[in-house]
Order: sequence, then structure tokens, then C-alpha cells
Amino acid sequence: MNMHKIAYSVFIAFVASLLTLVSVSALSSSERDAADDEGLDPITLGELAEHDAAESCWKAIHGRVYDITDYVSNHPTDPAVILEWCGREATEGWDNKRPGVPHSARAEGMLEAYLVGRLVDEAGEPVEPEAAARSDEARNGEAADEPALLSPAEDERLHRALLGLPLDGRYRGVFGDGGEMQVNVQFDLRDGRLSNVSYRHLAYRGVDYRTLDDDEDLYPVWVQHQQLAEALEDQPLTAIFALYEPERLAEDLDGYSGATLRGNKVHSAFRDALNRGVYSWP
Amino acid sequence: MRRWLRPGDIALIALLLLPLAVAMPRLGGIGGPPELWLTWVGRVTGILGLAMMLLAGAVSVRVPGFDRPFGGLARLWHLHHWLGFTAFILVMLHALALGLAAVPTSLDAAVATLFPPVSHASVWLGWLAWVALVVFLAPTFDFFGQPHYQRWKRLHLVSAAALLLGLWHALLLAGEAWPWWLLGIAGLGAIAWRKGVAPARRHPYRVEELVPLARGVVELVLRPEGGGIRHEAGQFVYLSPLDESLSDGRGEEHPYTIASAPSDSRLRIGIKDLGDASHALQTVTPETRVLVEGPYGEFFGRRFPERDMLWLGGGIGITPFVGGARDLAVGAGAERHAHLFYLAHDPERAYYREELEGIAETQEAFAFTQHYSRERGRLDEAFLREHCPDFTEREIYLCGPPAMNAHLQRLLTDQGVPASRIHSEVFDFL
Repeated sequence: MNMHKIAYSVFIAFVASLLTLVSVSALSSSERDAADDEGLDPITLGELAEHDAAESCWKAIHGRVYDITDYVSNHPTDPAVILEWCGREATEGWDNKRPGVPHSARAEGMLEAYLVGRLVDEAGEPVEPEAAARSDEARNGEAADEPALLSPAEDERLHRALLGLPLDGRYRGVFGDGGEMQVNVQFDLRDGRLSNVSYRHLAYRGVDYRTLDDDEDLYPVWVQHQQLAEALEDQPLTAIFALYEPERLAEDLDGYSGATLRGNKVHSAFRDALNRGVYSWP
Repeated sequence: MRRWLRPGDIALIALLLLPLAVAMPRLGGIGGPPELWLTWVGRVTGILGLAMMLLAGAVSVRVPGFDRPFGGLARLWHLHHWLGFTAFILVMLHALALGLAAVPTSLDAAVATLFPPVSHASVWLGWLAWVALVVFLAPTFDFFGQPHYQRWKRLHLVSAAALLLGLWHALLLAGEAWPWWLLGIAGLGAIAWRKGVAPARRHPYRVEELVPLARGVVELVLRPEGGGIRHEAGQFVYLSPLDESLSDGRGEEHPYTIASAPSDSRLRIGIKDLGDASHALQTVTPETRVLVEGPYGEFFGRRFPERDMLWLGGGIGITPFVGGARDLAVGAGAERHAHLFYLAHDPERAYYREELEGIAETQEAFAFTQHYSRERGRLDEAFLREHCPDFTEREIYLCGPPAMNAHLQRLLTDQGVPASRIHSEVFDFL
């Protein structure tokens, strides 16, 4: 059998296989339609938002809600990439695996295995991804729907703003020096108290502290910074001034590392966050 | 047949495996559930397939001398052919494996993997490359009957589009792009050279004389206009006649064997009326111009230089041996004895015979035996042994019509001559 015959046979077999695959798929069609959606549990943005962490990670994608908690560890990227979208409308992340590049059809197929429901608004109507993304920013924000109804006598936000007090909400702020961003903090402010303090970025001279392994020399610095964040948790906002003397908040891990904590950088990032104002409403 | 690896082959294998070696760390393991190993197979076949396509393009460059590390242009052509068809097979396995890898997820996912929305440009570029492959391979599959040589050659240019699309497909998907740039430049550069640069670099010659040898056989005597080419005995050239009065093949290039000795100031080419172009050349006008590109091949490439040689020529396949004998006649290249058997139907078809007999009379290193199949039937072992008792010990060179070659290969193999000592260089459809 010469090369021509082999190649020709493979060609015919290939075309036949494609036709078989396409026709079998068409005949056993599982087209998604509105009726399918009716059978799914309705899930509101509020319910969705409760599952926003690795322990329970739900995402809304193209109007459907998926519980991908079990899949997170199998995702090919760093877990942070996939966890970032937990508890919210994640269509944008799904459609932009890399900027402009959507997830593959195969990934779409795998996603269906994690389907738990369909995304609805408070009235039980299906939510379009864009609308959801908008209201996502204002999740739990009943006030956002009816701010005009409050009288100046009742509007606490107004009172705090007029007095120059920081409003409740989520804040983000950065400290940059020497041409690089070194610290990026995020925290929530509720009734003047800090919560959910975390670092979105922590680096110095190109070293990303958040990705260090525990055997690396600079790892203690990362641990110390985490201790700072933990120490501020549930403290009044004024506690950030303790960052000027970080030894009050963090323990010296070991003398060997010689790690030096720059609490004032973190402090500066906090102040930057406050200057910027509320990033998203609580 | 030559079965051992040539230096060129090793370079080719290294280049072929380069993109795979670079991509290997990203491909993961071959184990695990079907969807994982099918994905692995799909990626590996895709990488190898495209590398082969690009290298098939690269080896088609046909720069004179480039064929020598590969054992001559005829062997390089077989490599090109093999690379091209294997690539075609591999890219189909590539697509099928990736489609099947999605079946465990769902049938819809499998179909959507192969035929995604148009926005997944990379996948559709791959399909376009495949369509281009099918278009230019179609005549080879005989879809529309035997192709006309020149038309087939033009259609084969669609391969450039296939390479370009395939390359684009890979560059959008590959982790490391540099191996693809390297092979892409080699493949597309080779085609650009062949079609763009090479035609302008052919050597001009004038037809000095047209010597009729027999019915339908002439020897073209060509006088170089400039420096001309330098060649070895038994090599071949591509010849493009420019004579305006030619009935066919004007400006087209076809391969012909050189029948003159390297030291000859003229280039002599024996031409038999075997097709439209060679038919027209039988009456080419003297003093018109021809363009010559070459030389190519290594007909007399030696594997066992310590052995004497047996030359078996028939029909127009006598021409490389005429070149070899003429080379011996001027006292060159005669480090070992050569015995030529000329297989012809009858004396009328034994052109060049008198000249060859003359050389045998004066040269000790050259013996000549004429064999007529009309008198004795096909050449057999007894005739060979009678005239050349040590023929099984010699390094053997064959050139003649395919049926003769096949008959002689069988005869020699039956006598225990290892295939590595039998050489023939067939250039059909080059």
C-alpha cells in the first residue's frame, strides 16, 4: 500500500468521522432553550454573593449559576484567578480567558456539570449578564434603589459625608514608590470598623510577596504583613495609625530573616484608599 | 535503495522534533482518562504535522548542491513526498483526537470544539489550512484524472497558502512561538526562493547542435553563454527551452540527465521523446537559447569505493553511463573498473553503442557488453555471469525504464546482492 492510498483512506475516514460526529450530535440535540431554564432553581444575586470563597464558590455565567467549588483545584491557572469571580456575575471572566479569548467549547461542556440554577432578580425575572454585573457592584444595596426617598434628616450617609467621616463600603488603595506599585490593600468599613482586610498586591523590587514559598528568605515578611491585616480586623478605623509602629501589631517571626516590616507603606495605602473614597458599596 | 540516514536526514529530524521538544513541558502526561490522553495525542500530532508541512516546503527549495546531504534530489523528493503525506495524515488525526477528547464532556462540546463560533479564528485558520491541503493534493489523489504536469505544479503552489494558514493557526495557539517562526521562515522562504529568486539565476546556454541518435532520440549539444554549470558524471539538470517555434513546453522546465563528461566544454543531453515537451525538443531550432538549472543528484555517489562497478543501462537510461564512460575516456575518475551492460531491444535502438565500444577499446578501466532482448530475451543471470563473472561482488548502478529496473532489482537480489549495493536514481515527476 503506497503513501497515496494510505493518505486517501485516512482522508475519507476523517471526513466520515466528522460527518458522523456532527450528525450524531445534531440528532441527539440537547439545545438549551427557555423551557430548560424554567426547571432550574431561581437564585438571586444576594444568594449568589453568599458563595464567594474557595469553601463554596458559585458563579453566574450567561444567566446560569454554577457551583464550581469542586473544580477550583483543577483549574489550570493560579486559584486566585478563578476565585476572584466567586459569588458574582462572572460572564465577563468566562468570555475573557485571555483578553478577548473566550473559554473553549469543551470548557463550556464541562461547566454544565456544575449547574445549580438560574440567576434571577428580586422579582424572580431572569437577569441579563450586563444588568447583573451593574447591580453586582451594588449588591445588597437596597438603598441604591431608593436613595431619593430618604429625607436629609434620615440619610446617615449624607451626615457622614458632610462631617468628612468615611462612609461604609469597600475601599481599595495603593502605595507606590520608585516607579512600582508596592502595596494594594482592600478593606471593608462597617460602622467605622475594619473588616475583610486583604492585600491585592504586595511587592518590592519585582518580588511578589504573595507568591513566595515558605522556605524563601523573604517569606517572613509576607507573614508579618498578613499579621498586620489580621490585627486590624474588626478594629476601629483609627487603628491604622498603629501601623506607624508595626511591632505593636505583628510579631517578629525570627531574628534570622532580618525581615523588616514597612508598616508605614501599608498605612499609606490605607490613607490612599480613604482619599479615593468608597470603591463599592457594602 | 539507500536505507541509511544521511547527514541531511539527521538535521531534518532535529528540526522536526524541535517544536515538539519546546512544547513538551506544556503538554502534560499521556496517562489519565481518555480526554486527557486524547488531548495529548491531538496536540502532539498537530505539532508534528505542521512541522512536517513546513519542512516539506523547506526541502523543496532545490538549490543546486542542497540535495547532496540528502543523497540526491530524487531521494530528497521522496522525503518531500513522505513528509507532505504524513503531515496531511497527522493534521487529520490532530483534529479528530481533539474533537473526540471533548466527547466525554458532551457531543455538543465535541462538535463545538471542531466547529466553534467564527470568533475562534485560530480553529478556523486550521480548517482553511486543511482545505488548502486537500485542494493541492486532490490531483495527487486522482480525483480529476491524471493531472497535466505544469498545471499540477501551479496547483501545488496552493501549498504556500496551506503553510501560511497553518503557521498562523499555530502562532495563535502556541506557547512558544520561536520554533514556528524558524520553521515557517524555512518553509515559506524555500517556496519564495524557488518561485521568485531561482528562475532568475538559471544559466543561459545556446543550442549548438542537434544530433539525431535514433528515431525519437536526439542529443542536444549546448554551449554556455556565460560560465555555465559545473557538474559530475551522471547528474541531471532542469532545462527550459526558449525557442519560440517550439510546439510545446516553451519556457517550461523539465529534468534531463547530462551525457557529457564534466571536463567537456559543451553540455550534452540525451533526450527521448517521452512526452509533449521532450517531443517538441526533438526539433528545437539550433542557436536558440535554453536556460539550465542544476546540477542535481548523485547518480554515481559511492558507498563502497573499494569495489569495482557494474553499470546496467537501458533505453534513455543509458545517458548517465554515457556521461560516466566519457569521463573515463578523458582519463578522469577511473580509480575502479566499470563494466557497462547496455540493454536494448535491437541494434537500431542501441544509440551511443559505437562510441561506448570505442571507449572500451582504449580504456582498461572500462568494459562494455551489448545485450539485445530481441535475440536473447530479458537479461538473465547466466548472461551477466558469462560476461562479468564477479558481478555480485560489484557496486551496482541501474538506470532504465521502470520495468527493467524492477526486473534487474529482482534478479540481483535473488543473487544475494544486498540492497545497499544497488543504486538507482529515478526522477519521475520531479
